[in-house]
Amino acid sequence: MNPFLATVTLVLLAAALFTLPLLPALYELRRKHDAEPLSVIQQYAGDIRHFAGGFRTYIDGLRQPLQECVASGTSARGTLRDGGEYLLLGREDNSCFNSAGVMGGTTCPLVIAAGVDLVLPSGFTFIKEIYASGQFVGGEESTYRAILGDKNVHLQRASKVMRWAHATGDFQVDHDCDLYGRISSDGDMLLGSGCTFQRLNAPRIAMGSAGTKVESCRVQPSDAAPNRQAPEEPVRRRLIEGDWEIRSGEVVIGNIVSRGKLHIEAGARVCGSVKSNGEMVLDADVVVDGSLISAATMHIGPRCQIRGPVIAEHGMMIESGSQCGTAQIPTTVSAPIIDVQVGSLFFGTLWAREQGRVVPSR
Amino acid sequence: MMIYVLFGIVTVICIYTVRHYFFTLNRLFGFQRHPYIDTDTADWPNVTVLVAAHNEEKVVSHILGALMGVSYPEGKLLVVPVNDRSTDRTREIIDSFVADHPDRIRPFHRTGGKGGKAAALKDAMEMVETEVVLIFDADYIPGRALIKQLVAPFFDPEVGGVMGRVVPLNVGTNLLTRLLDLERAGGYQVDQQARMNLRLVPQHGGTVAGVRLSALREVGGWNDNSLTEDTDLTYRLLLAGWKTVYQNRSECYEEVPETWPVRIRQVMRWAKGHNQALVTYGLPLLFGKHLATWRERVDGFLLLGVYLMAPVTVVGWLLALAVFYQGASPLHGIIAVLSITAYAAVGNFAAFFEIAAAARLDSTRDRIRLLPLLVLGFLVSIAAVSSAFVSQMMAPLTGAKFHWDKTERFRAPS
Repeated sequence: MNPFLATVTLVLLAAALFTLPLLPALYELRRKHDAEPLSVIQQYAGDIRHFAGGFRTYIDGLRQPLQECVASGTSARGTLRDGGEYLLLGREDNSCFNSAGVMGGTTCPLVIAAGVDLVLPSGFTFIKEIYASGQFVGGEESTYRAILGDKNVHLQRASKVMRWAHATGDFQVDHDCDLYGRISSDGDMLLGSGCTFQRLNAPRIAMGSAGTKVESCRVQPSDAAPNRQAPEEPVRRRLIEGDWEIRSGEVVIGNIVSRGKLHIEAGARVCGSVKSNGEMVLDADVVVDGSLISAATMHIGPRCQIRGPVIAEHGMMIESGSQCGTAQIPTTVSAPIIDVQVGSLFFGTLWAREQGRVVPSR
Repeated sequence: MMIYVLFGIVTVICIYTVRHYFFTLNRLFGFQRHPYIDTDTADWPNVTVLVAAHNEEKVVSHILGALMGVSYPEGKLLVVPVNDRSTDRTREIIDSFVADHPDRIRPFHRTGGKGGKAAALKDAMEMVETEVVLIFDADYIPGRALIKQLVAPFFDPEVGGVMGRVVPLNVGTNLLTRLLDLERAGGYQVDQQARMNLRLVPQHGGTVAGVRLSALREVGGWNDNSLTEDTDLTYRLLLAGWKTVYQNRSECYEEVPETWPVRIRQVMRWAKGHNQALVTYGLPLLFGKHLATWRERVDGFLLLGVYLMAPVTVVGWLLALAVFYQGASPLHGIIAVLSITAYAAVGNFAAFFEIAAAARLDSTRDRIRLLPLLVLGFLVSIAAVSSAFVSQMMAPLTGAKFHWDKTERFRAPS
C-alpha cells in the first residue's frame, strides 16, 4: 500500500474513532432537544388545597346548569370541554347510583356535581372527582378519586380516597378508612381508629370516633413557659455529645441538642427547642415550648404538649392525650411513618411521607 | 523519587474517585434525607432577605419582583437589597421598588468601603434584627415557596446554615451554559444531597442560602478577607458545632456565565477562596479539638482539597510522562500506559458518572448526550484552577492584593 495513503487512512480512521462518541453530543448541541432549564416550580406555594382549587376552577362552567337542576329538582348529564362526562344532581336522591340506575354497576366514571346534600351508596368506586355544595356523606367501603365539599364531609367505614379531599366545613372520617394524598379541611377534622393517611391539614385534627373525648390541653405551653424570651432574642443552646436525659419535673430554659439519644422524663418542661441525633423518647406530661426534632425515631408519651414543629426522620409514635401545636399557633408534624393514638390532637399539618396510622390507645 | 510522588498523587486521586462513586451510589440507592421539606405550617419567624447587588441593573428587578410575590406571612419578611457601590442603575431600580413596597423593602446603599460580597454583607448586618437571615445573589429568581423552605430547617436548633439547590436558567444559550448546567446538576443533585444523606458537610453556597444570626455572631460574622465567604462560613459553623443542611427540593434559578473568560474568572475566584479556607481550616478541622464528628472531619477536609486536585492532576500527568520516558522501574512500558489511562479514565472522570446520575435523577434525557463534551469544560477548569493556584503561591512575591472579580451578567434588563 502507498505509505502516504496508509498514513492518511490511519489518521482519518483515528479521527473517526475519536469523533464517533462525540456525535450524539454534537447532535444534541446543534438540535437543542433538551436545552430548556430544569423545571422549577415558581408559582405553586405548596398549598394542600391546590388541587381542590384547581378542580373548583375546572367545574366553574357547571355552576349555572347545576343551579337550574336544583331549581327544577332534576338531574342532568353532559360533557365537559375536555371530553369528560359529568352528572349534575339537583335533588337529594341517589337512585341513579343503584344498579338499575344510570350507572348500571358499582363503578361511576362521571364527574359528579351536586347542588344539594349528597348521600352516596356503599360499595361504589368513583373514578372521577366529586363536588358537593351541600353536606357530603359517603357510603361504607367506597372508593373516591377526589372530593370537594362546600360544607361538611363524612366518609363512612372502610372508605378510600385516592388523590385528595377538601371540606370547607368539618371533615369526619369513620374507622378503617385509607386516605391517600392530601386531605384538608377548613373546619375540624376527625379520624377514626384504623385509618391510614399521608397528608392532613386542618385547624384542628382529632384522632378518635365522634364519641371520643379529645380535649385541648388546658395549659398552653407558650403561656406557661417561665421567662420566655422575645421571639427575636436568640435562645441559648446547649450541645451535648452523646446521650442525655432530662430528669422528671426538671425545667430547662434554652435549646437542647443531643448528639446521641435523648430521654425526657415525665413532667419535664423545655422552654426552647429540642433535637436529638439518636432516638428520642418523651415520657408522659412533657411540655416543649419550641420544636422537637429527631434524626432517628421519636416516641411521644401520653399527655405531652409540643408547641413547635415535630419532625422525626425515620418514624414517630404519639400517644393518647398529646397535643401538637395550638389553636392560635398551628404547626407541622412530619415523619415517613407516623402512628398516632386515638385521643391525640393536632393543630395544622400532619404529614406522613410513607404512611400514617391511627391506632387504638393502650 | 518521582515514581513515589506519582504513586502518592494516584493514591489521592483514587481517594477522590472512591468518594465520587460513593456519593453517586448513595444518591441512586441510599436513604434520602429531606427532613424539613414537609414543614408547611408553623409559627414562621421574622426573616431578613439580603440581596447582594453590585452593578446589577440587568437582573435586580427580577429578584425583587419575585421576592415581593413569595408566600410568607405578611409583616414577617423584610427584603434588604445590599447595593454595593454600584455605578449603574442598580440604586435607581432598588429605590423604585422601595417606593412601591416601603414596608417590605429597606435598602442598604453602600458607597464606600472594602470590596467584595462578604464585606458588603458584613456592613449590611447592621440592618438585620431577625434570627434568620437568607442570602441571594441578584441574578437569582426565587419561587413562591422558597422562603418557607429555606426557613424551615431553622426550627432545628442544631442548624446554623441552610443551602438550597441552584438551577441554571440560561441553559440553552451556548455550549458553555449547557456544560455548566450539567456540572451544577452533578454538584447539587448528587454531591450536595449525598453529603446531606450521609451527615457529612453540605456546603453553604452563599446564595439560595440562610444563616442563623446567633450562629453567625458566635463564629465571628462574615469574613471579608475571604474570596469565598460561603466556604469560609461553612467551616466556621462546622467547627463551632453548627450544622449546615442542604435542601435539594428548594430550587432556585440562577444565571450562569455565558462566556469562557467570565467562567474562568469565576472558577479562579472559587479556587483561590477554597484554597484560602484549606490553609486556614484544613489542619484544625482534621486534628483540632472541636465539635465536628470524625466523618465530618474527613469529608470536610476532602471538600477543602477539591480545588487543589487540579494542579495535583497536572503534576501527576507530567510525572507520569517523565517516569514513562525515563523507563523508571517498576513502572515502565505497557504498565505505565495502562496506569495513566486507568487513572485518567476512572479517576478524574468519576465526576462524569456523578453528572450522568444527576441527569437521570432530574429525568432530563437528551442533555446527557453532552457528557463527552464535558472534557472541554474539565480541561479549561484544570487550567484555570491550576493557574489560580500558581498565582496564589506567587502572591507573596508579586505583592498581589485582595481582589474580588464580580461575575458579569448577560440577561436583558426588563
